[in-house]
Amino acid sequence: MHNRLFGTRRLKFGRIILYTALTLALNGCDTGRQQQLPEITGHLPDLRFSLMSDTGQPVTNQTYQGYLIMLFFGFTGCQAECPFTLFRLAKIMRNLGDNANRTRILFVTLDPGRDSPQVLHRYVAAFEAGQVIGLTGNETEIEDLTKRYRAAYRPRKSDSDELSHSAAVYVFDPQGRARFLVTPDDPIETVADVLRRLLASS
Amino acid sequence: MNPLQWLVPWEFSFAVLMVTAVAAMLFIRGSLKCKLLFRQKLCFWTGLLSLYVVSHTQIDYYSEHEFFVHQLQSLVLHHLGPFLIVLSCPKEALSAGLPVAGRRLIRMVSGWKPLQCLVKVLFHPAAAVTVFVGLIAFWLLPPIHFIAMLDWRIYRLMNWSMVLNGLMFWGIVLDSHSKWSPGSRIVMMLAVIPPQILIGALIFFTPHELYPIYTLCGRAFTGMSSITDQQIGGLILWMNAAMMSVIGILIVIHKELQSPESILKSALAAKKSLD
Repeated sequence: MHNRLFGTRRLKFGRIILYTALTLALNGCDTGRQQQLPEITGHLPDLRFSLMSDTGQPVTNQTYQGYLIMLFFGFTGCQAECPFTLFRLAKIMRNLGDNANRTRILFVTLDPGRDSPQVLHRYVAAFEAGQVIGLTGNETEIEDLTKRYRAAYRPRKSDSDELSHSAAVYVFDPQGRARFLVTPDDPIETVADVLRRLLASS
Repeated sequence: MNPLQWLVPWEFSFAVLMVTAVAAMLFIRGSLKCKLLFRQKLCFWTGLLSLYVVSHTQIDYYSEHEFFVHQLQSLVLHHLGPFLIVLSCPKEALSAGLPVAGRRLIRMVSGWKPLQCLVKVLFHPAAAVTVFVGLIAFWLLPPIHFIAMLDWRIYRLMNWSMVLNGLMFWGIVLDSHSKWSPGSRIVMMLAVIPPQILIGALIFFTPHELYPIYTLCGRAFTGMSSITDQQIGGLILWMNAAMMSVIGILIVIHKELQSPESILKSALAAKKSLD
């Protein structure tokens, strides 16, 4: 009897391990395929920066307090990814309707040498004017911000046009807490839904 | 970037700096008191320096932003660094380097019952093999890896756990005074090979991106595709990690053949055959 009991318990334990392993493995395989935004609440620090806006004004995170922020690193010389992402973000903004008034897109340049406030202003105006803000600063300020959010950044070499940059858009709630990463594969409706819910809950 | 700039820590860690400095100081003090072979000193310094370099210089930037560099970093943190440190048999020198108060504290802590039980469990060959392989697998699970590369606290926990576990595992298998026989230590090193090959091969043969975090946060090398990066990372685990075991086994065999016990045994056997 004891032996049988012991046997069943062991079997149950084995089954639990097997199920856990299978769940973990399947979860692992499905990352990136399931269209839910990767939640990062508590894993990245709150929004904090002190940079120059595309209108030449010094701005900080305090300037955008109360707004839902979509932060994105790029540079105006980028041929494909940056315009594509900004285009997608502009579409998300249109999808948000009235909620767009409480949302701002911050485009931080990784090429401060070339992207002066004027250049940035012309560039962001081509997208959702007024709601996209171009930000620039010196190399140290940019490096501090990218490091804070674990985004790749190495100052551009003078002889090269290439720069590595992150593909993610960082979403911060109106209190400045990092909440989601928007990946280039996330459907616009899904992102807009998540942002709407986030705005409603705060 | 000039060579000196490479030495600037990408993310400053007080803990890494302190532990490295304390270990270095204890070893220097110890090596003044007890006679150490040049080979021992070379192993210790190469091991300690390699751990420091991969975790506290600009290399750390590349490990955060390229999967295969991350795999190389793990290889040093979990395999090469601890392996070399253990190989230098630094126990004697480090304890000689300790001040009297430190030695007393260690004696007190090591007499603590719960710690003794924990050590007994963790240092059992089956547990050591499971934890060694389990740790590699755990940090490479895509959802875990995603968070570890994003959250600096978890990232540091990952690196520290790798080093500590590496010291523990190689400490058990390479220690010639261990209570475990050379045979069982060789079996331990053999046992960790297949799971590592399996994980490395799984990563290598996966056709889609397992670790999108590198693309999301940006890759250090713009010219390399995500799949190529993933494949190289898989190969590093597949080939080199297993190679460390083979080197370890050769060292155990070599030490065993040289030990006075085995010389005595072979002498006795020779005598018997003569009689």
